[in-house]
Amino acid sequence: MKKKIMMVDDDYDLLQIYVPVLEKAGFEVATANTAAEGLELFKTFLPDLVMVDLAMEHFDSGFVLCHRIKTLPEGAQTPVVIMTAASHETGIRFSTQTEEERKWIQADEYLDKPIPPRELLAFIKERFFETPESQQH
Amino acid sequence: MKIERANILVVDDEFGMREGIRRLFEAQGHRVETAETGRNGIDKGTAEEFDIYFLDLKIGDIDGVEVLGAIKAQFPEAICVICTAYASIETAVETTRLGAYNYIAKPFAPEEIQLVFDRAIERRWYILEARQLRAEQERRLLEITQEKSRIRTIINSIADGIVVLNQDEEVVLFNPQFPRLLELDKELVIGRSIREVLPEPYQELIADIFRQKDSLQALQQEFIIHPPAKLVVMANTTTIRDDQNRLIGYVSVLRDISELKQLELLKSQFVNMAAHELKAPLTAIQGFLEMVVDKTLGDEPETYDNYLRRSLERSKTLITLINDLLNISRIQAGKIRREIERLDLSQQAQSAADFFANEIEKHGLTLETEFADGLVIDADREEIQRLLTNLISNAIKYNRPQGSVTLRTSREKGSARLDVSDTGIGMKPEEKERLFEEFFRAKNPHTRSITGTGLGLTLVKKIVDSYAGRIEAESEYEKGTTFTLYLPLAER
Repeated sequence: MKKKIMMVDDDYDLLQIYVPVLEKAGFEVATANTAAEGLELFKTFLPDLVMVDLAMEHFDSGFVLCHRIKTLPEGAQTPVVIMTAASHETGIRFSTQTEEERKWIQADEYLDKPIPPRELLAFIKERFFETPESQQH
Repeated sequence: MKIERANILVVDDEFGMREGIRRLFEAQGHRVETAETGRNGIDKGTAEEFDIYFLDLKIGDIDGVEVLGAIKAQFPEAICVICTAYASIETAVETTRLGAYNYIAKPFAPEEIQLVFDRAIERRWYILEARQLRAEQERRLLEITQEKSRIRTIINSIADGIVVLNQDEEVVLFNPQFPRLLELDKELVIGRSIREVLPEPYQELIADIFRQKDSLQALQQEFIIHPPAKLVVMANTTTIRDDQNRLIGYVSVLRDISELKQLELLKSQFVNMAAHELKAPLTAIQGFLEMVVDKTLGDEPETYDNYLRRSLERSKTLITLINDLLNISRIQAGKIRREIERLDLSQQAQSAADFFANEIEKHGLTLETEFADGLVIDADREEIQRLLTNLISNAIKYNRPQGSVTLRTSREKGSARLDVSDTGIGMKPEEKERLFEEFFRAKNPHTRSITGTGLGLTLVKKIVDSYAGRIEAESEYEKGTTFTLYLPLAER
């Protein structure tokens, strides 16, 4: 069975970039444009991995979605990666320093945008699915 | 020590006495008034203060002692010389007790009265001199009091809080803004220790000042008032030194910098958001190009056509975004150079519509216009065009195939009204609410491939606001949107 990845980003173009790459690598991919859509999609799609943009309708939409997924019974074990263009250069920073913050946000990984499609794929394979191709057949 | 022209009153019922004294002193340049009755003497002598009074003790109608009493009651410092034929010791004592300066026994020789006069006039001079000094001192006191109250008034009307402390940490002076700014519960009294008055959080600030003591030059402390945590205060403290440069105390000026802080925050937020928004199209462009270069999806060039087209789109947005950012920052800095002229709003709308004619056709839309005459406004042509351009291009971008764009102008009270309507995708109420927010863009399945900066309407609103106009939006999701703006009509 194919591994399922849900990707949530309000920039449609970025989905256009990453989705074909992931599909070509053998994943089943579903997309959403907002945190609200993402939550609904999660419940029906039940992905093995969630990739979510941080700033969508609001600057912290990604955190909120991550939190909501992790509090669902079916989502507690699903890894969530937060992708963000927020970084030291833009001055938009978030902190995962304290136990409380980590507990609340619960994201498994953070990725800085922009990330080349190939690198994204390599990261996903290495971190979450060691041999997706082998499971594909 | 001389009175050049003394005023003299002689009260005597003897003509010879009156005239004799008058001739003697008028010849010396003095002014001599006379009264021949006691009644007349009291009237004249109390109406004006003479330098010297010569009073006869034995006058026909009223006793000279009574005349003396009336004059002294009116002018306690009057110099009265009693002239009497009864030069008895009792009379002298009696009149001196009543305040007479001296007495002279009749008859007397001119040299005798001259001698008495000279001494009396010297005495009078001292009295006048003392009186003048007293008046001057009083005036100075008044001036000092006024000066103090003036400085007090100035200090009290300064918007900043001011407090002066001595070396023993006691309050020497403060203005009403000081306790108000710090929201002190305890009453602030001069002479009280500042540490007793200030709540715990501010103790460290005071400690900071007194720790440095003599080495303190100028100390800047920024702190937040708790509660409410919204107020940010900047305290500037410097030393007060005496003329030998010895430290005698400290003066702190406290300023409410909350607004400044808020502005700083807004500014940095804007910069952060701008940076984030600039990154977004670049991220997409970079992603697209990497796929093309790496041939991620195979060797067929056609596979990448759409990616290249989108890259081009996004790079165009980037340029627009940068222009919008520059325009917004120019408007905000008030640096915009405007050329205000009389403009006909309908004509402006027409020319903007003409500019978009091709674009409208290309999108398969129809344009409808309905223009009223005589809508004259005073405005900068370029700004009005930018405003129209942003609204019309939105009406095109967010429309549906076979839809229409409607431009309508009309007069409403003192304003020129412009409606720009589309039959497009509309907005949800929560999207409409955030419409004029910087960088806000409606995100729903319909807006997916529509590019924009999220600054177009922000700019429109800023322009409209700067002309004291108003902008409103009416929208129904999946039905269409109408923007209505009102600009003041030019005065004739």
